[in-house]
Amino acid sequence: MLPLEYDRSEDRDIIVRDRFDGLRREFLRTLVNPEVIEEHRQLPLGQHSERLERLLIYFRQRPLEQRYAVRAIEPFRRYQVVKLSGRRGVPPRLIDDAIYTSANDARHGLFLRCIRDLLET
Amino acid sequence: MTPVRLFGYTDRLSVKPGETIQFHVSAEGTDTAEAQLVRLIHGDQNPAGPGFVEEEVACTANGRWRVEPQFTQVGSFLEVDDPEGRLAFANSFTLFAFIHPTWPASGKRQTIIGRWDGDRKQGYGIGIDEKGYLQFWIGRGEETERLTANVPLQVQMWYFVAVTFDAETRRATLHQVGVGNRYNGLLGKVALVDYESRTSATFRSKPGNLASTPFLIAGSRSRDAQQRARVSELYWGKIDRCGAFGQALQSAELDTIRSGLVPAMDSLVAYWDTSAGYTDRGIGDLVVDVGRHRLNARGYNRPVRGQTGWNWDGFTDCFRLAPQEFGGIEFHADALTDCNWKATKTVALPQGLKSGCYAMRLRSGWGKGVSEEHVVFFVRPGRPRARIAFLFPTLTYLAFANERLSFDHPEREALTGQSAALSDIDIEMYMRDDFGLSTYDMHADGNGVCYSSYHRPIMNMRPRYRMPSLDVASGLAADLSIIAWLDQSGFEYEVLTDEVLHRDGLEALSPYACVISSSRPEYYTERMLDATEDYIAAGGRYIYAGGNGFNATAGIRDGEPWIMECRRRDDGYKPWVSRYGEHYMATDGMRGGPWKVLGRATQKLVGIGLSSSGGGRSEPYRRMPDSYHRTVSWITKGVDGEIIGDAGLANDGAAGLALDYYDRALGTPPHTKIIASSGGHTDSYVVNQQLVLYSYLGLYGSYDWRVHADMTYFTAPNGGAVFACGSVAFAQSLPVNNFRNSASRVLANVVEAFAGASRLPGLAWVNEEKQWA
Repeated sequence: MLPLEYDRSEDRDIIVRDRFDGLRREFLRTLVNPEVIEEHRQLPLGQHSERLERLLIYFRQRPLEQRYAVRAIEPFRRYQVVKLSGRRGVPPRLIDDAIYTSANDARHGLFLRCIRDLLET
Repeated sequence: MTPVRLFGYTDRLSVKPGETIQFHVSAEGTDTAEAQLVRLIHGDQNPAGPGFVEEEVACTANGRWRVEPQFTQVGSFLEVDDPEGRLAFANSFTLFAFIHPTWPASGKRQTIIGRWDGDRKQGYGIGIDEKGYLQFWIGRGEETERLTANVPLQVQMWYFVAVTFDAETRRATLHQVGVGNRYNGLLGKVALVDYESRTSATFRSKPGNLASTPFLIAGSRSRDAQQRARVSELYWGKIDRCGAFGQALQSAELDTIRSGLVPAMDSLVAYWDTSAGYTDRGIGDLVVDVGRHRLNARGYNRPVRGQTGWNWDGFTDCFRLAPQEFGGIEFHADALTDCNWKATKTVALPQGLKSGCYAMRLRSGWGKGVSEEHVVFFVRPGRPRARIAFLFPTLTYLAFANERLSFDHPEREALTGQSAALSDIDIEMYMRDDFGLSTYDMHADGNGVCYSSYHRPIMNMRPRYRMPSLDVASGLAADLSIIAWLDQSGFEYEVLTDEVLHRDGLEALSPYACVISSSRPEYYTERMLDATEDYIAAGGRYIYAGGNGFNATAGIRDGEPWIMECRRRDDGYKPWVSRYGEHYMATDGMRGGPWKVLGRATQKLVGIGLSSSGGGRSEPYRRMPDSYHRTVSWITKGVDGEIIGDAGLANDGAAGLALDYYDRALGTPPHTKIIASSGGHTDSYVVNQQLVLYSYLGLYGSYDWRVHADMTYFTAPNGGAVFACGSVAFAQSLPVNNFRNSASRVLANVVEAFAGASRLPGLAWVNEEKQWA
């Protein structure tokens, strides 16, 4: 392994990765519809349709600095959605003021944020 | 105002009533803390269970403690014992070393070897500048003179580096030569990279020599704001043989050293043969100077030894076979194996203390600003009396200690199938560098962490802790569900730890009729595994109350039980992998990686072994035909219907997180019965890598039958037996509905039978059973 903060600006495979990512995102945008959003709302964790699972697999594979996490302010009572820094020692940052009363609600809030990122970029 | 924070650890993890134990506490924002000894009974705050339960215990140490901030020296390095100052060169000298930098362009200065005080600008050193260039520097207190190489050091490549300093002419020459071969570095011969540099300069002065400056390898002296001595400018990478001469050597002499020989010259002051003193059963922390002055160097924060060296040719893969090729010592600026805090309090524990899991609860602050810390330890009995022992997996706790996978590991979320749920303590731990890493983490230079220690605060060995990547109580917090179950059941029990099992072997287990494992007894030393096998074979009755057990090798050095070693290789789940040639533990010479590869699959010991793991929804078990057999139907007595464990604090089922299964091909004893099996797992659960030869589409819960847990039972020689629950989540199904549930019923049936003095139910049916077969 190379250092966690190794300068990868000269890695040529970033071009290949980004090209793959662009094509993948283009396809994944076609999978987003109200049904898949509702499926996730009802069951954030569990067995999912292929359409939803493809989206989730993509979100789980994003670079760390583009990923979100749930912050448990008070376990089983209050949660928020935060964005990871991807840099050791740098804490996640809050992305909005929304408070969720269950971890699953927060997971769905996180999912919606990922969907928005996918559709907007 | 500084927020109030309290953190602590103990000198020992396993103690007996009446013994003394030291608490090492560091405080921020306060100088007092209220201490209260508590017995921990349940941790998981999931509202479907009993919640957090602790019991206050009378102790003379209860009350107000004076606390203070304590300094932690992070980073591994070597300090040379040079009481006569032979390395305080007043005249000409030469320094040399073989080096393999793992993060040369780190943005921070690094010292390879030297006698340098960075605050006072006194001494000399050879190291790496912020941009990754080799550098030599000297100082006499006012300014620092530097000589820098003209090509940068390449990451993960071996070099011979040297500096000669002629005191008369004040001429310094810095040499850098690549010594990479086909095996020992990142790049091969085909890479068009310039490794060589030779630069010279005439300095204005000679190095100063403070008596207080130590000669260090992989760091240099500095001071903190309170002028306390510390070591900084720490080095990332490997250092092989290195040394010093009291004269400026000629190029030809340096060439000789670079070839692996050291000239037998009177001017040789020190030659640290990093490969000297190895034994087949391990390598210590003392690096030997084989020169005439014996200026030996002692390791701090346990530098990693037995690593491949500059002259390793790839033919052998272990330091035991060709020690002279394994002289690499690996250093990391973020390594930590001992906080070395002053003892805050030495406590004599009460004589009559019940065996169990305890903590010194420390509190300070008010209202929402209150800080609470549970400094956990385990009390085993003065003399074993109970028939049941619960074994706390302290080695596994150490392997996971302070892991930060959810922040740093790009594959963790894919592995668990869910986003992390971070608590404030996770975020605080991630922001601090003074509590160290786990064996699941990587050092910042990308290399895996192979040492973990309990001489530091361990945030995830706390009663309420939830593992963020799975959002379930984990480790100690999960195992307390078994403790709470034992407490409410009325069974008399005592507790043991891995630490005791490793030290005492079979003797630790043999007083007990029944031993109950934790929910994830994953890391085992050879001694622990042998003792468990011998216990069962000698008539012991063992309840494997979890999953993913007995899976990973680990090492503990005699006399230093607070540090465990873990090397990772082969086909096991692994957050990182040791480099080829570095799979053997420096602690005891054992090969690292999964026990299965060494011919000791978990199935051979307890009937089942890891089939798969994942996150999200857990599942129940369903009774299998064997459970109705008259020899074992007592196990499910009182269970209504087919289902066992359809609720739980870990994702609502008894089969979850990591699942174990019966496999005759891996050594499940032939007469093992499958009492129940789980099924219907989601595609977040994936077949254990150890079971497949290729990766392919379809190794997931809804595609592959192997993704399930088996609950099994077999009788062993001399009246022994093993009952295996089959899943990490099983323990967390016990507390549901105030402990009245099918999983709890099954476990109670087994414990009652195993702890009883009589023969196990079913043994009388042996003859008839043969007829049925």
